Amino acid sequence: MSRNATYRRVTREVVTISTRFPAPRMWWAMFAVSLALFGLLLVSVVVLFARGPGVWGNNIPVGWGFPICNYIWWIGIGHAGTLISAMLLLLNQSWRNSLNRFAEAMTLFALTCGGLYPILHLGRPWYFYWMAPYPNTMDVWPQFKSPLTWDFFAVLTYLLVSLLFWYIGIVPDLASARDRARKRRWQVFFGVLALGWRGQGRHWLRWKQAYTITAAIAVPLVVSVHSEISMLFAAGPIPGWNSTVFPAYFVLGAAFSGFAVVTIIAVVLRHMLKLEDLVTERHLDLLGRMTLATGMMTAYGYVMEAFDALYAGGYELDTLQDRYGGYYAWSYWGALLFNFVPLQLLWWRRWRVSPIPVFLIALSVVVGMWMERFMLLVTTLYRDWLDSSVNLYHPTFWDWSLFIGFIGLFCCELLLFVRFLPVISAFEIKEDLADG
Amino acid sequence: MSAPGDPAGVDAALRRLGASQGRQYWRSLEELFETAEFRRRIAAEFPALARMPTDIDRRSFFQCLAAAVALAGLDGCERRADEDAYPLVLADRDSQPGMVRHYATAWELDGVGQPVVGTCRDGRPIKLEGNPDHPASGGKTDAFTQAALLGLYDPARSGGPLRDGAPATWDGFGAVALAAREWFDASGGTGFALLTGPVQSPTLLRQIAGMRARWPGMAWHVHAPMAEGPAALDGMPPLDTIDVLVCLDADPLGNGPLQTWHAQGWSARRRAFQQGDGAARLLVAEPTPTLTGVTAEARLIAPHSRIAALAAALGARLGVAEGASQPLDAKERAWIEQATDALQASRGRGLLCVGPQHGPELRMLGSRINASLGNQAVASRSRPQPSGDLAALHRAIGLGGVHTLLILDSNPCYASPDAAGFTAALKRVPLTIHAGLHHDETGQACRWHLPLAHLLESWSDVCCADGSAGLVQPLVRPFLDVRTRHQVLALLTDGEVPAHDLVRQTWPGDEVQWQSRLLKGFVAEAAIPPAEPTASVAAPRSAAPQPGDALEIVFRPDPTVHDGAFASNPWLQEMPKPLTKLTWDNAVHIAPALAEELGIANEDLVEVSAAGRSIVGPAWIVPGQHARTVLLHLGYGRRAGGPVALGSGFDAYPLRSPSSLWARGDGTLRKLSGTRALACTQTHWALGGHDWIRTVDAPGEALPRKEEQKSFFPPQPREKPENGASPPPAWGMAIDLDLCIGCNACAVACVAENNVPMVGREQVAKGREMHWLRIDRYYEGTPDEPRQSFQPVPCMHCEDAPCETGCPVNATVHSPDGLNLQVYNRCIGTRTCSAYCPYKVRRFNWLDYTREAAPALVAQRNPDVTVRDRGVMEKCTYCIQRIAEARIAADKEGRPIADGEVVTACQQACPTQAIVFGDLTQADSAVGKRKASGRDYALLEDANTRPRTTYGAKIEGGGKGAG
Repeated sequence: MSRNATYRRVTREVVTISTRFPAPRMWWAMFAVSLALFGLLLVSVVVLFARGPGVWGNNIPVGWGFPICNYIWWIGIGHAGTLISAMLLLLNQSWRNSLNRFAEAMTLFALTCGGLYPILHLGRPWYFYWMAPYPNTMDVWPQFKSPLTWDFFAVLTYLLVSLLFWYIGIVPDLASARDRARKRRWQVFFGVLALGWRGQGRHWLRWKQAYTITAAIAVPLVVSVHSEISMLFAAGPIPGWNSTVFPAYFVLGAAFSGFAVVTIIAVVLRHMLKLEDLVTERHLDLLGRMTLATGMMTAYGYVMEAFDALYAGGYELDTLQDRYGGYYAWSYWGALLFNFVPLQLLWWRRWRVSPIPVFLIALSVVVGMWMERFMLLVTTLYRDWLDSSVNLYHPTFWDWSLFIGFIGLFCCELLLFVRFLPVISAFEIKEDLADG
Repeated sequence: MSAPGDPAGVDAALRRLGASQGRQYWRSLEELFETAEFRRRIAAEFPALARMPTDIDRRSFFQCLAAAVALAGLDGCERRADEDAYPLVLADRDSQPGMVRHYATAWELDGVGQPVVGTCRDGRPIKLEGNPDHPASGGKTDAFTQAALLGLYDPARSGGPLRDGAPATWDGFGAVALAAREWFDASGGTGFALLTGPVQSPTLLRQIAGMRARWPGMAWHVHAPMAEGPAALDGMPPLDTIDVLVCLDADPLGNGPLQTWHAQGWSARRRAFQQGDGAARLLVAEPTPTLTGVTAEARLIAPHSRIAALAAALGARLGVAEGASQPLDAKERAWIEQATDALQASRGRGLLCVGPQHGPELRMLGSRINASLGNQAVASRSRPQPSGDLAALHRAIGLGGVHTLLILDSNPCYASPDAAGFTAALKRVPLTIHAGLHHDETGQACRWHLPLAHLLESWSDVCCADGSAGLVQPLVRPFLDVRTRHQVLALLTDGEVPAHDLVRQTWPGDEVQWQSRLLKGFVAEAAIPPAEPTASVAAPRSAAPQPGDALEIVFRPDPTVHDGAFASNPWLQEMPKPLTKLTWDNAVHIAPALAEELGIANEDLVEVSAAGRSIVGPAWIVPGQHARTVLLHLGYGRRAGGPVALGSGFDAYPLRSPSSLWARGDGTLRKLSGTRALACTQTHWALGGHDWIRTVDAPGEALPRKEEQKSFFPPQPREKPENGASPPPAWGMAIDLDLCIGCNACAVACVAENNVPMVGREQVAKGREMHWLRIDRYYEGTPDEPRQSFQPVPCMHCEDAPCETGCPVNATVHSPDGLNLQVYNRCIGTRTCSAYCPYKVRRFNWLDYTREAAPALVAQRNPDVTVRDRGVMEKCTYCIQRIAEARIAADKEGRPIADGEVVTACQQACPTQAIVFGDLTQADSAVGKRKASGRDYALLEDANTRPRTTYGAKIEGGGKGAG
């Protein structure tokens, strides 16, 4: 096949997805379910605003429950998108080109879920903007020692940079979609989004500069955002939180769960949109390796955490024992089981390249990482210093409904993206082909 | 009237429907056909409705409405106390908005007066404190007194007389009373019976004596469901003179009408002992833990039925022989030896105290032992002899000898062993009149229900624990159409008489004397004279030991709702019981050993039966209880008396034997399937080797000092005094665990002062109680014989407060005088402060706990304290409003705030003076002295938060030779 023919095929495969969607029934089925869950989210939020955070299971001492646990989980998932796109771009790893577009989109959607959670979690969410340093007649600033203030900055920055990075990356492909669209409404839709891209040399030059710079900004953000989020825990003088291992532990755990989610999406999209020749076995193989590597680093975090507690003794050791054998021991052992046991299969290439096992392993990691977030939060808070304030935390229906609702929102966003925008970076693949 | 099946009826109904204009709705076929059966049902369900004229049309409805609105406006003026009430502080008589007035008055529990000073703001009573000038109070209060204020505002109180459950008028009752009076005058009162609770009020006694003189045929019965009434004081000297107190199943420090009196005395002695003056020993033998028992240095776990044997053994060793003594086991022998040695070592300054539930023989033996040791005894007070008790009344009704019965402020249809039988018997009395605060079980069983005025809105008088009389003047004019208890009696004897006059008549002396007495709140010179000891009315007897495997059931008043009288008081319902930390429910208390034997866990439903009767309730395992003893708290399972009272716990009264009210030996316990969830505020209580509670062996001993840890926090910027002004104070608190008896007075006082919302059973069960001050309770040692400790935990006001680091919006900040402030309107509810708080003293408004409050309850709120909205964090403020008040007063006079000028609500209430608050910069301040003591320690020193609230270590033992 000639090079031009190959280019055409790539373009056709990617940009005609929106206009002639290959699997409309499957899409509609998935979208209907997601939309229903999104409806559940809306109901949960209305109930929450009408009655207050008391609809959840939170109490004293477990003042933070699902919202904070899920917030950390979502933001963590988002990080893999940035790592794949930006870091691998800077490292010139061209295999990323098949994955980066939807990984970035996934980051963006995970961030919308993760970013809304802390606001909903507030006692008086309508005042969330008091965390922002804006000039006001009250002459009160945020409290800059608080990790929450920096969380607010970090997540906001990360959201903006991720959005920019994703959008800059998609512009050339939007232009090709515009050029190939037959119907007027598609032409207008893609035309507006393509910002008048004409593929001039100057366009490409500026684009390359912008893209690389944004990538360079985005990569350190991954580290800073999740380190900052870990401070939410580590800055409190609470046994089980107050540890220096937390930033690294959180960042690696975030990347780990993120790679797992990218794997899940890759497997599904590959099957649904028949992209086997663009998302190849090689990509699954590399994703598996990344997941394995970050997973093993996370496991190291577990070991270090236990070492910390053993070294410190006292209340820290009490908390560790409580994690191993206390009321919420299931979350500790569950996290170990789901995170690290199936993961070991990824040492073999045979498992890494078979879509269904990889999908299941990734799913297990996502569940395991959620349990880890739950474990770190709840096992620490429900029993911290004084035994007199011990109290159990039981999530309620509205805790779960909000959580599942956010998964619905995430899936809705992702499905709309798949349906209407180029899911794979066609021009970068072509560039890769040309170079290769 | 026609039946649904009757075709003529159908036609009539259809005609009616056709004839009506507009739409006509009907609820059921019965209503459509207007059957007699439907009318009967309506009458049974809504008696008031049945009496209403049926043909109210739209026009007359609006006429009524307009008239009601107009009349309501007439009543809309500010309700201030009667003009004749005299404020304690004689200020400008012209009332100004926001003006605070204090009135000395009193209220009563089980016939024992509790002298208080009521604080009124704009005519609304908002807080009660002990009357500092009154010897029975010393300015201190207990939990009941603190919560009595809420009883005044209780929205469930009845607001007007009821006749057969339908609204009636006082005039209507006046006519009935007039007829009765004429009849009694003619017949000499035969067939008239008066039932009261324990009476000590001089005016009430005067009125009753007058009635008995006028109508010699009448009978006066006294129903005293609780043992710790006035009679419990007989022979008890004030505890501040007692070096060695030996209690045989007695609980002088426990929650009850005498707690403030006894706790104050015990604390005075204990504080002297801490300074090296004499001893303060406490030895207790009891079947189930009590506040006195857990405070004791030596606690013997002995069943109720062994108390007599222990008393006999004590008597034998002290030379007061009392028949053949029973053999003792090793533990009992050791305790007896310890007790006799201690008593003998402080002859004349010891006291053997036998529980009032143990009958006159045993109490008599106790007095003889005390006399043989030369211990001082206080003579019993003279009390007029009533005709009999409730059982005698019940018998009299059965014989048909009662045709008019007035039940004054007593609830025998609930608080008696045979409540059902008595309720049925009431039907045989032609005229039954109930006067009480609530339309309760007895009110519903009587023909007439008359609403009584709460004592805090009444003119009355009381007799206090020290024997002095207290005057009761109203803090506020009654909100409702009520009469005082004296007026109700006067209605029978004379007709409507102003309440004030009835009390004024009791007290001799001119107007000047009367006014000065009202100002002080008591009559110092008129102690009730002592009298010849008389046998008590119905002598309750100890349960005879039962053979075999039977369990001993012990009954006690509940430490929060007492005999059930406070069941509609949410402050008390939600107050954790001192020893179990349960709220809103009672439970079947069993020992760990029994639980293990029967395979019972907490909250499992169990059935307790005795003599063919049984009750079902959730079990609760209580360490330190005798293995074969089951404890039941009275006061729950109310069947009427307001929405708060209903649906809580089970009624244990039916299980009591009329012949032995406080214990019975023939109980059995059976585990049922199922559980009932209980709302407990502290589910973990093992000290587990931690040093949260510290102890020393002797008063002078100091705790080992820990090295001060390094801190990353910069030193707190102390405000630079300008122009040579004095530096700001550094507020701090010291809580002496050696004095704390865990009585809850501080916690209820905090609720009353700080508008702390009550959240209900479900929220408490979720761990969302809002108390700013909690009392932790810890166990050490074995579950069978643990040592127990209490630890009140308010906000620690840390110098290096983690909460302040956590808050992103500056809603919790440090003040120059060292307070950790919570700024409610800045709080957005991230709850980081609570997550970071090592003491978990912060409370969050998870739901809207305040907006839906009944208007009556809103009136009670302290206007100086913000009512918190949904979604904000709150916590102990060290009563910042009181600090501000003192600061303003001091600033006005241009002087620094003096030591003792700021008194926090918890400190003010604490009957043992365990809590001290003040300025740490003044070395000679009371709090400064406490902190300088070697016993002072900070909770969780490891957390390195440098708390401003510190604790005084417990002193093990109470004197030389203490074990």
